[in-house]
Amino acid sequence: MKTSRSVIHPSAFRLRPSDFGHWTLDFRLPSAFALVLAPLLSLAAIAASPDTLFQSGATAYRAADYTQAAEAFRQSVTLQPASGALQDLGNAEWQSHRTGEAILAWEQALWLDPYNDAARQNLRFARKTAQLEAPELAWYEVISTWLPVSWWAWIAGGSLWLAVGMGALPGLLRRRKAIWQQATAALALMVFLLSIPALFGVQTRARIGFALQKDTPLRLTPTREAQTLTRLAPGDPARWLRSRGRYALIRTSRAVGWVEQDQLGLTCPKTGKRVG
Amino acid sequence: MPPVHHNPKPAGFGLWTLDFRLWASASLLLAMAAPLLAQPTSPPPRDPLMSLMTSQPQIYISPSPQATASFDPPVVRPGEQAFYRVVFNALEESIEWPGKVAAPAQLEIRPGAHSQILQMVSARLEPRTSFNHRVRAANVGMFAVPEFVVKVYGKAVMVPAALLEVVAEPPAGVRSTPRLLLELPVTNLYVGQAVSVRLAMPGLAGGIVQGLGQPQLTGQGFLVDLGGARQRIEMMTTAGVSLPAFFYETTLTPVMTGKLTVFGQGFIAGNRFSGPIVITGSATIPGGPPQYTLLESDPIELHVRPLPTEGELPGFTGAIGSLAIGPPKLGTNVLHVGDPVRLTVTITNHGDGPLARLVAPPPPQVSDWQVFAANDFAPAQPVLQPHTIPPAQFGARTVTEAVQGVVAFSYTLIPLTEAARATPPIPFSCFDPGTGSYADLTIPSVPVTVQPSAVAADFQTLTQSASTANEAEKELTLRGLAAARGRTAASLVPPQQQAWFPLVQLAPAAAFFGLWKWDRRRRYLEQHPDVVLRRRARRALRRQWRILRRAAQLADGPRFAAAAVSALRVACAPHYPAEPRALVGADVLPLLPELDRSGRAGEVVHRFFEVTDATHFSTTSPNPAELLPLQSDLERVLQQLEDRL
Repeated sequence: MKTSRSVIHPSAFRLRPSDFGHWTLDFRLPSAFALVLAPLLSLAAIAASPDTLFQSGATAYRAADYTQAAEAFRQSVTLQPASGALQDLGNAEWQSHRTGEAILAWEQALWLDPYNDAARQNLRFARKTAQLEAPELAWYEVISTWLPVSWWAWIAGGSLWLAVGMGALPGLLRRRKAIWQQATAALALMVFLLSIPALFGVQTRARIGFALQKDTPLRLTPTREAQTLTRLAPGDPARWLRSRGRYALIRTSRAVGWVEQDQLGLTCPKTGKRVG
Repeated sequence: MPPVHHNPKPAGFGLWTLDFRLWASASLLLAMAAPLLAQPTSPPPRDPLMSLMTSQPQIYISPSPQATASFDPPVVRPGEQAFYRVVFNALEESIEWPGKVAAPAQLEIRPGAHSQILQMVSARLEPRTSFNHRVRAANVGMFAVPEFVVKVYGKAVMVPAALLEVVAEPPAGVRSTPRLLLELPVTNLYVGQAVSVRLAMPGLAGGIVQGLGQPQLTGQGFLVDLGGARQRIEMMTTAGVSLPAFFYETTLTPVMTGKLTVFGQGFIAGNRFSGPIVITGSATIPGGPPQYTLLESDPIELHVRPLPTEGELPGFTGAIGSLAIGPPKLGTNVLHVGDPVRLTVTITNHGDGPLARLVAPPPPQVSDWQVFAANDFAPAQPVLQPHTIPPAQFGARTVTEAVQGVVAFSYTLIPLTEAARATPPIPFSCFDPGTGSYADLTIPSVPVTVQPSAVAADFQTLTQSASTANEAEKELTLRGLAAARGRTAASLVPPQQQAWFPLVQLAPAAAFFGLWKWDRRRRYLEQHPDVVLRRRARRALRRQWRILRRAAQLADGPRFAAAAVSALRVACAPHYPAEPRALVGADVLPLLPELDRSGRAGEVVHRFFEVTDATHFSTTSPNPAELLPLQSDLERVLQQLEDRL
């Protein structure tokens, strides 16, 4: 299913100076057709909105059509990532016996909303069932899971400028520094300093990925003929270290090696990469 | 030991210093070194691993590797299988063996086994690597595999040509090497179902039998239990003739579904046996060095099915077979709270297949007990080796009630409360390939009497943690769908990785910078008020200038004159501590250049002030329109005044 986008032809309205000195509207017939067509296209766009896709995915899931449900949920989160949609995408992938994709979707649901208990429970259930291990997080990465990832940047930025403002504005505005202003500045500075490890944790967690395919070969070198060090089960966690060509160097709990980039789904996909 | 002269003496400034003499120090060092020199020099102990390595015979790498090629047997009937065998005196890793060997079109040739063995030659080991190919010709004739070149150690080694003769009736003198037979009782298996495999090498006429070196099963998708391998020599009846044969038995476990191909291979090792061997009956084992000829059996195809998911029972850990559980044995039935007790249960295999390693079921999470698995989930090895099936009955599946092995599971249980009346049942199940269904082998409860303990309070924490873990385990189910899309985001990429985020963070920085610059400018102006006065004067001068120009355009004389005087006043005001309205023409003139005061400029200033003063204070009303022609002169004066601001 492709999303359609309403487009108004640039030549539909053209302002031009008329002979008597006023600006008139040059309205052409094809452009008028496009003008009429635009609302229809907008309606089509609404029909493929994330909400609509989410509902169609839920309907397909309840009808046990898990493949169709996964496709609808995936399109929904591609248009706009949402924690609930990613959770449902994980459910549909799990029911389709695609463990790697399911775990990736649930991890992304927690990435957006760490308070999504259902996704967390599903991850525990899947890892226990498939005998998989969870990624080992450093202390600063654990801190970064306390809040949605997008919050930390705003908390850090806001607290920094609040501290700077509370410290500098009274002097600039020739006001006496009140106690509450100093307390606010100190508190904001403390929040900023505390949010730095979490920010770093978000950065490092963004490089955590999960094997998507069954028996994903972990290669010694980034070549097709390379020796296989071990094979990863779908859903096995790994950390992306660097890439070379179509291969990515990853570190797992067992070894460091190369996998094809398409065989690893990152929690925070780069532009143009897989979502969900 | 010589004396050491450490003579403290008072220093010149009243402190005690140490007089450490050179000769005394040297004698001290010599005295300390003397016992060391007197000790006998003993070599450092050798590393046992290095000793073991150096004691091994050297592996001889031939500088000029050679190859031999032959057909085994060299003469066959049409359709009969022979082996094309090439042997190198080089390591297998160094040989770049071609994927396909050129052969006549009438000769069907397929790759077979290949392996390497180290042969003891005059106190050193020499590698021998063999490559087998299965060949078969449908018609009689002479078939030759021409010579070809193979790279060994990077050098070109010529493999000589070999000739196979296919005749309708081979001569009686042609003697082939022993054949290798692979036997499996069943070929339809489930994944994980262990099956006994036997390699048999019948002896030659006269009761001569040889050993098999490096026997192995070749193929993909299965595991071979090398730890349970056995070898023996027994009588074997083939084609009505009873001959001694060498048997090698092991266990094969498929780990992949589908069609798997397996064949056996090994070297004829003469009287060299690896490990213990049981010889039953009469057999003649030839002496002398073995020839190490690589043999291989015909391949056998296994059909491996997945285990059914329907009907799977709790506690299934991969056990497959016709298993039965024995009564659980508890160390004691009277316990105290906190006292560990050992629970042992035996699993007996009554099926016709071998009993592979079993994984004990995980200990249950219950509130009244703390249960630990004794073997920590490691696969348990059968304590009783599989029953040896007579060669004649191998594969006949007639043994159904024989015990094929016993595995014991052990658990350590700790009662946490006095309320425990029996040990918890431990779910366990197995898959019976005979019936194609799962069988319940749950370890039953054992009644116990738990008495209070003096340190029962210590187990309160254990009780709580056990119950908490139990609740957590119960919650482990797949949750349903989310009713709504939940928290949304524009992207999964966090804001700090977005390109716009630094720009957003720069906005408050720019605002603060602007505020700081503004404050700095303000402080500067506070310290330099004349700058403000001049700026205001310039602003007012330009305003009056515009007014007088507009008045000049409209030929409005009174307005022109008033604006001109006002402009002259505001332009001069910063130079006097006075209000602009209080200034007169005499105040303007000193600000003009010396020459202009008495010149045209001075005259223009006088004229404008006269007219405006007369307008305000004289009874005669002058005509301000007369001043309009003086606009250019006035502007020149104003320009001079503006330049001084």
